[in-house]
Amino acid sequence: MSDRADPLAIERTVRSDGLEIVRQSSPPGTASFSATYLGPAGFAYDPSGREGTASVTSHLLTSGAGRWDRLALARELDRLGASLSTRCDPESSGVTVWGPASSSRRLMELLAASVLHPRFAARDLERVRRQLLERQLQEETQPDSRAERVLFETVFPVGHPYRLSGVGTRRSVQKISRVDVVRFHRAQFTSANGLVLVTGPGTLEAVAREVRRVFSGFQTEAAPGAPPAKGSASPPKRPMSIAMEGRSQVEVLVGGPSIARADPRFAAVHMANEVLGGRSMLNRLFQRVRETNGLAYHASSEVEAMRWGGYWTAQAGTGPKRVARVIEMVEQEVDRISEELIPASELDQIRESAIGQIPLQVETTSGAHELGLDLAYHHLPGSFYRDWPGTLRALTRAQVRRGAESGINRRGAVTVVAGPTH
Amino acid sequence: MPKRVARLPAMESFALPNGLRVILVPQPASPTASVWVWYRVGSKNEWPGVTGASHWVEHMLFQGSPRYGKGVIDRAVVEVGGILNAFTDTDFTAYLTTVPREHLAVPIAIESDRMTRALIAPEEVERERTVIDSEREGNENWPGFRVDQELNALAFRRHPYRWDPLGYAEDIKALTPTDLQSYYHRFYGTHNATLVVVGGFSAEEWRPKIEEAFGGLPEGGDDPTVKVVEPPPRGERRSYLHGPGTTPIIEVGWRAPALTDPSTPATVLLDVILGGETRLFASGSAWGRSGEHPSARLYRRLVDTGLAVRASSEWRPRVHPGLFTIDAQAAKGVSAQRLEDAILAEVDRLAKKGPTLAELRQAKEKVERGAALAYEGATRTAFRVGYFAVLDSPALEGRLLGQILKTPRKVVLDTARALFRSEARVVVHYTPDPGSPP
Repeated sequence: MSDRADPLAIERTVRSDGLEIVRQSSPPGTASFSATYLGPAGFAYDPSGREGTASVTSHLLTSGAGRWDRLALARELDRLGASLSTRCDPESSGVTVWGPASSSRRLMELLAASVLHPRFAARDLERVRRQLLERQLQEETQPDSRAERVLFETVFPVGHPYRLSGVGTRRSVQKISRVDVVRFHRAQFTSANGLVLVTGPGTLEAVAREVRRVFSGFQTEAAPGAPPAKGSASPPKRPMSIAMEGRSQVEVLVGGPSIARADPRFAAVHMANEVLGGRSMLNRLFQRVRETNGLAYHASSEVEAMRWGGYWTAQAGTGPKRVARVIEMVEQEVDRISEELIPASELDQIRESAIGQIPLQVETTSGAHELGLDLAYHHLPGSFYRDWPGTLRALTRAQVRRGAESGINRRGAVTVVAGPTH
Repeated sequence: MPKRVARLPAMESFALPNGLRVILVPQPASPTASVWVWYRVGSKNEWPGVTGASHWVEHMLFQGSPRYGKGVIDRAVVEVGGILNAFTDTDFTAYLTTVPREHLAVPIAIESDRMTRALIAPEEVERERTVIDSEREGNENWPGFRVDQELNALAFRRHPYRWDPLGYAEDIKALTPTDLQSYYHRFYGTHNATLVVVGGFSAEEWRPKIEEAFGGLPEGGDDPTVKVVEPPPRGERRSYLHGPGTTPIIEVGWRAPALTDPSTPATVLLDVILGGETRLFASGSAWGRSGEHPSARLYRRLVDTGLAVRASSEWRPRVHPGLFTIDAQAAKGVSAQRLEDAILAEVDRLAKKGPTLAELRQAKEKVERGAALAYEGATRTAFRVGYFAVLDSPALEGRLLGQILKTPRKVVLDTARALFRSEARVVVHYTPDPGSPP
């Protein structure tokens, strides 16, 4: 049983239809409320030839539901001072409602209606299709998204769920019909493998009662099987260059496959990434590329650890004349993180920074809610973040180096450069 | 339903003998403390040849002061688990640090040290030049940045709102360490600074410590009031840009009042009616410019009808008269002119007939609800308190909110007519190059 007032802890229960109900306290002194439904409806489940269906479907969830058409839903949200937003990644899709805690009952009704009874009006489908087609164009014309797309298509083999960006192709998106959307929604927005996280007041029992009141009538209870996330590609050793004239900045992106979130090495990989290019300004990429050499405005790295696996990236944006030096530095720093032990003083500083980020994250209800989603989706222990400082402090230098070896290394990785050549 | 009004937090506000304004907002339950210093100095204080100086000085304040050599500021904050950042606007520059509350002494010492004694060493200025250049290049990759720059250059011929806080590329190449040092010593000082501290601390304990840390600083800081007045516009101005991109982008701007103008409450309502939100009273997990607003006029007229993939309006609160803008991106196959015609038709309709009573009520409700949840967490609260303080005063928020809720339909209509005049209009079309996307 967790402390009811601690936003770092969660409590959970599973309903007979498989829906997981998770409760989290709002941070002290806040008056807002947030709730999310997440289901196994990511773009890895896109039907063949209809790539983009998951993105279209999740967007449409906030376009009218139950007794509210799109305008009525928008006005009701305005009246409450609330918002509905959607998310869609390779593995899951979801809807989040945010608003005043004093309206939590109505907010839960709006969330449940959006998830269970979306209208999927033809006119809204056309609007979302237009928006998705524009996003496709943007992926092709922006150096950062173009580099990312090429990287994923190079490091993950055909059929791998992390290979695609979810926006589909012009052809596949044009083919998506309302029937496709309805079918996808029925099959993927399920109770089993689905979860509802509520960040706000009330006990777990009260939250479960409220979820029971509004979240009934899933069209499918059984969860779909996860697509295979196996296989590896053979990316080229030399950097891949994409000439995009007319832009000002070149995006340098290095990346490859990494570990899953539930992997016991996650904490070590997380720390290795924090040292390499994480959120603190002391990270090596920022210090070397920007602070010491003045070669770029942004230089950082990330590890995206998901349920089925993960990937890492290190990136910097620079001018065409500085690209060669930036590539060399980024690659050297990536190699160094797994080849050498991190000096104890450096590791200690970054460790404290990583620990300090947690109280900052839970300043707001929405920040706390994101941590809660991380715990809930990855089935982590309810006290995970409460124990996180101890977990990080217990990591040895050797463990962090081994973490980097397994989760941030250039075996199977590629370097992509996109932008102007002169 | 009970009325929910802006919950302006309890604060203690005072000035030190050297002129530094201090605002303390204790939040006993908060595990963090957020320290912001707001300077009434931004790109409005620059002049041709030194554009970008405010922003560059902001970068240099992380590069060394007497007690904190290069890299030491970052290390001092990071090793106690804090975050730090800064940003430069047309009207102000802000520095923020949030730390676990037991480490409040760290940002207080840093801000006191760099308020008047930043080193701005020539070798660091040179190294930072390419960083600034790179920041600008990164922005230029986005067509929207190019459009914004062009729109401001069209709208303002004399006033410094003409250029972006990043400055002109040519000036970034030419600015010298001496230029930056002179600019810093002229404008950075106690007269132009407001220190805002929010979070888990006691004012009784920290007021004397703050007085000690900042009280010894010399008085300083030239008056940053800009005397340049932009002459009234005498006709529409337009520009046509081309470059890489996806679909045409249109931005239309009209000369708009400064924040303290009596028409501000009605202007805020026009922003909400057209675009769906206002920066001043935005609710949600982000501060303004978040998500779509399907109930807003522009969305219904442009996005719902298939003309655009996005559409928004923005009246940005400014110390001097600025712009009210509408920005939209065409759907594939829709021409820039067709989109512009639709934007102007909608604006014309609003200026001729005004909002409906229901529409006005909904807009007021939205503003009121946005204000109700605006203060959450030490960092956001410090931002909000400081933002209003640097532009006017923290009390402005409550005053403005009250005025907005009382604004009658007739005043909104009159304001729309005065605002959306064709001779005060600037228009920029951005058309993707043939062959774009690659």
